[in-house]
Amino acid sequence: MKYHIVHKTDYHYGSTVALCHNEARLTPRTLPGQTCHSSHIEIDPQASAPSQRLDFWGNQVTYFAIQMPHQRLQVTATSQVELESGEQQLDFAGDIPWEEMRARLVGPCSPQWQEARLLAMESRLVALQPELAAYARPSFPPGRPLLEGVGQLTGRIFADFTFDPSFTTVSTPLSQVLEHRRGVCQDFAHLAIGCLRSLGLAARYVSGYIQTLPPPGQKRLVGADASHAWFSVFAPGQGWIDFDPTNNQRPHGQHITVAWGRDYADVAPFKGVVFGGGQHRLDVSVDVEGLQK
Amino acid sequence: MPVSKPNAVNFMAEYSLGQAYRTEVGAYDEMQADNGVVRPHWQDFIQALDQHQADELRHRRQDIRRLLREDGASYNVHADTPHTNRPWDLDPIPLLISQSEWETIEAGLIQRAELLNLILKDLYGPRTLLRQGLVPEQLFFAQNGFLLPCTQTLPPGHRPLVLYAADLARAPDGSMRVLSDRTQVPYGAGYALENRTVLRRAMPGPFRQAATTVRRLVFFFLALRTQLAALAPQPKSDVRIVVLTPGPQDQTYFEHAYLAAYLGYPLVQGNDLTVRDSRVWLKSLEGLQAVDVILRRVDDFLCDPLELDGSSSLGVPGLLEAARQGNVALANPLGSGALENPGLMPFLPALCRHLLGQDLKLPSIATWWCGQPQACQYVLDHLDRLIVKSIHRQAGKQTVEGDKLNRDQLATWRARIQAQPHLYVAQDQLNFSTAPSLAEDRLEPRHTLLRSFLVAQEESYMAMPGGLTRSALDKGSFLVAPGTEVTKDTWVLTSQPEQPISLWLQRDPTQLEPVSGDILPSHTAENLFWVGRYAERAESSAVLLRTVIKQLSEQEKQSDEADTQALHTLLRALTVSTNSRPGFVGQGSKKRLADPYPELQAIALDQQRQGSLSATLHMLVRAAYSVRERWSMDSWRVIDDLQENWGALTAGPHTPLEQIRNHLDQLVTDLMAFTGLNMESMNRELGWVLLDIGRRIERAVSLIALLRSTLVPRHEAVVESLLMEAALTTQESLITYRRRYRAHLHLQTVLDLLLFDDRNPRSLIYQLERLNRHIGQLPRQRQSNRLSPEEQLILGATTHLRLADPENLLETHATRHRALDRLLAKQKKQLSQLSEIMSLTFFSHSQVPRQLGGIEPESQS
Repeated sequence: MKYHIVHKTDYHYGSTVALCHNEARLTPRTLPGQTCHSSHIEIDPQASAPSQRLDFWGNQVTYFAIQMPHQRLQVTATSQVELESGEQQLDFAGDIPWEEMRARLVGPCSPQWQEARLLAMESRLVALQPELAAYARPSFPPGRPLLEGVGQLTGRIFADFTFDPSFTTVSTPLSQVLEHRRGVCQDFAHLAIGCLRSLGLAARYVSGYIQTLPPPGQKRLVGADASHAWFSVFAPGQGWIDFDPTNNQRPHGQHITVAWGRDYADVAPFKGVVFGGGQHRLDVSVDVEGLQK
Repeated sequence: MPVSKPNAVNFMAEYSLGQAYRTEVGAYDEMQADNGVVRPHWQDFIQALDQHQADELRHRRQDIRRLLREDGASYNVHADTPHTNRPWDLDPIPLLISQSEWETIEAGLIQRAELLNLILKDLYGPRTLLRQGLVPEQLFFAQNGFLLPCTQTLPPGHRPLVLYAADLARAPDGSMRVLSDRTQVPYGAGYALENRTVLRRAMPGPFRQAATTVRRLVFFFLALRTQLAALAPQPKSDVRIVVLTPGPQDQTYFEHAYLAAYLGYPLVQGNDLTVRDSRVWLKSLEGLQAVDVILRRVDDFLCDPLELDGSSSLGVPGLLEAARQGNVALANPLGSGALENPGLMPFLPALCRHLLGQDLKLPSIATWWCGQPQACQYVLDHLDRLIVKSIHRQAGKQTVEGDKLNRDQLATWRARIQAQPHLYVAQDQLNFSTAPSLAEDRLEPRHTLLRSFLVAQEESYMAMPGGLTRSALDKGSFLVAPGTEVTKDTWVLTSQPEQPISLWLQRDPTQLEPVSGDILPSHTAENLFWVGRYAERAESSAVLLRTVIKQLSEQEKQSDEADTQALHTLLRALTVSTNSRPGFVGQGSKKRLADPYPELQAIALDQQRQGSLSATLHMLVRAAYSVRERWSMDSWRVIDDLQENWGALTAGPHTPLEQIRNHLDQLVTDLMAFTGLNMESMNRELGWVLLDIGRRIERAVSLIALLRSTLVPRHEAVVESLLMEAALTTQESLITYRRRYRAHLHLQTVLDLLLFDDRNPRSLIYQLERLNRHIGQLPRQRQSNRLSPEEQLILGATTHLRLADPENLLETHATRHRALDRLLAKQKKQLSQLSEIMSLTFFSHSQVPRQLGGIEPESQS
């Protein structure tokens, strides 16, 4: 299935901005099962010194500055992405007990494992705490295969937590989310990651999109119309396996991956530093349209 | 408790400093061997020292303290609370290191610098060391000094780690160990240089004789300059290098200013710099100037709010991108703090063999990283004998000494380590060596550490021959830290005396030299402007205060109605000019006029009181300290003296007015000396122009305030006469007046002298003319033939004053000279506007960066 994605970020400033520096992570990745055919970012007013690079995680980063006085900044990313349909096949037979996975995260290793180790550690927005381990524990009795445990944890988060955009902001700490059992996709992803890392397992934060209008006969998923977030867990021999706790499913054919990292702070779609500007208003819109093959 | 042993047989017994030197049992002493004999490399020095009486050395110690204070050498003098204000302290007795031993230490330091440099390159590059298991990932990844955005941003050269410092300690067996590695903003080299300079100035001849066999520090700084110039992304002859400081509130700001002045680079703060087109520019009064190399004293994570800590206001947004694109080089590069990880120490021997094919020459202190199960078990078992540290780099780093913990605390720490073992290291408690310190009237051993400094060169590293030695204040103490230490000069001895050279006499034309030429960062410009204003404000307040006190004491002798009226008018003028209402003007002024003593004391001495002389002096010192690198030694000494003299006065609770008056004389002299020195010794470059603009604006404003509160209101002839005399006195114009007019005081002629006489350096027109000329000299991009707003303002004010008709000014309304008042009011308004426009136009660093995104709820789903 092919998708046409338009992601608009629109800042209206109360007073003139003399200079701003920005970083955007708005270009979808190409990976097994996902091909980004084209992607471009339009910046208004005219950007200075734009440059592209891959960050530590391999995400495409666009840096630019606006060096002329302005009161409005519009960034529009337009991408064409093709997803292979069908679920990522899991090798449950090859699934190993979660404790064994934890033990394997020590010693010399390949680059992929190196990344996994970094993702087993505390990060800025995911502080490890005993409460997280305690919440995760029932899903990981001794000897349970890793992916089975993760699947169960995903289901429990979906069942126990209420989706409530009014409750949290980006800076709401995980302990609040856990206490009040409310949040948005970003919180649920952070929560699952925190649970897994508290047990010594590796998990990463994934940001991306899901289709705005589902194909006929399918339910519209929560999290369309904006950036979506889920998480991924590292399984030996199988690589990184995605789970979406907001929709209680393993992403298949509808989740478009843009970037991944330790937590939201590593993958924020747009961030910047401005000089001047006063109060500002921000409008973000995402439109993901499914195209026939 | 260390036991002292008497020191029987040696020539120390005859040592004139009196008591024998007693070393501590169990510790190595730098000067004296176990058998009580002075080590060979100390003998010449001790003999030289021996020619001096103990009290002479004590005097020298006073000299040293005075010289250091005059240089402003300190840790954080800027803090307003006294207990954080820590003047630098230097022991007259240096630490001596023999030539042969230094060669061994030096080789070890150079090897260690090369090793750390290779680790840094791998860590932010291919990370093969991690993959091969030579260093566990956890060790680096979990430490807050390792910054992901800095991967692949190191500059291309062989030695991105430009500066390195190591804290060394000597073990009881005499071997040197590294206690910690400093790679982020390794400070201390400037303090070491200051120590050397001060000691040389303060110590007497024979002492200096001994010092001729001491290696010089200047070569280290020459190498630093050469290396910084060589870092420039494009080779060119006019490399622009700046020193980036967090600002005067930083603990080691003295060193930033000192190094900037010594090396000849502008001292800048984050908001003096801007990134445009992925290049770094210095915002100066002359416009944007490209910057090629930054000698940085701001911590890694604070340097770029875009990619690193978004809440930082000390950095430069876009700096990391500029470095990544190779448009600017930083010393050290961002992310270097990852090497300041004590957990790395146990892995260095193997890394050294792997990367350099050599054994590690300079061992670290025994260190266990708890991320390794065996090491962790050892630490848990021996916690009561070890020192525990976090692997993180953090301010006020917590170091726990196991032997000071009780049973419960030990249990807490064990649990803490077990929960996240990879975040902790433990180290041996080292009984490190002692060196002789001057204590009252004799030498006593003090535990001592040495910080060494290295700088990268084309082919290798160069170690400073010497360093910053720090000794514990108290006998037997191992606590060597800010507040509990005294520093020492470090003498590396040589058999071949080196020729004295100056950093500035080296003129090798093939060598890349940084550009000279004064450019004025906008912060510096603003501070100079305010130094000018505060110095003048302090002077005019002091003079007026002195006049008032004089009037007060005269009135006490013989009180007549006219004297009282004049006094009250002057008291009101004091409140108005110092802007310290209510005082003698607002609510409750009647009572205060009747008994002016408490209020006068407050205006003179209460630093908390807005407008007080003490508060103004405090702001003057602050502003002057912010541009410390701009003052000549003499100018700074004056600043220091006036702070010292006036500060001594503030200390007393009920200071008699007579004593205040005496001090005011001294203060006025000091302030005039400061102004005079600046007139005589500052180059007539932009910096001076800014300083003088500040001074002229302030002088004009205070003259206007004085006239409006004394001579604008109508008075009886006797009172008016007294006030005119007072006004002329405060304007230092009484003698001129008498000489010129040889007559009684007439308001007309007084105003003539104070407002319109362009030969009188105190007159209003004189200030305006000077401003006119200065403002014409300020750099600006001319868009058209139109005058800039500040030019228009000053031209307007000058013309307005010139066109005023002196005859009509005394046209009188019922209670005041209305035309005069109108004229002065309008002048005042124009000068205030001018000051404001100066800020907006020339001090462009005022905008604060704000973070977008990251804090926005971008993801609503």
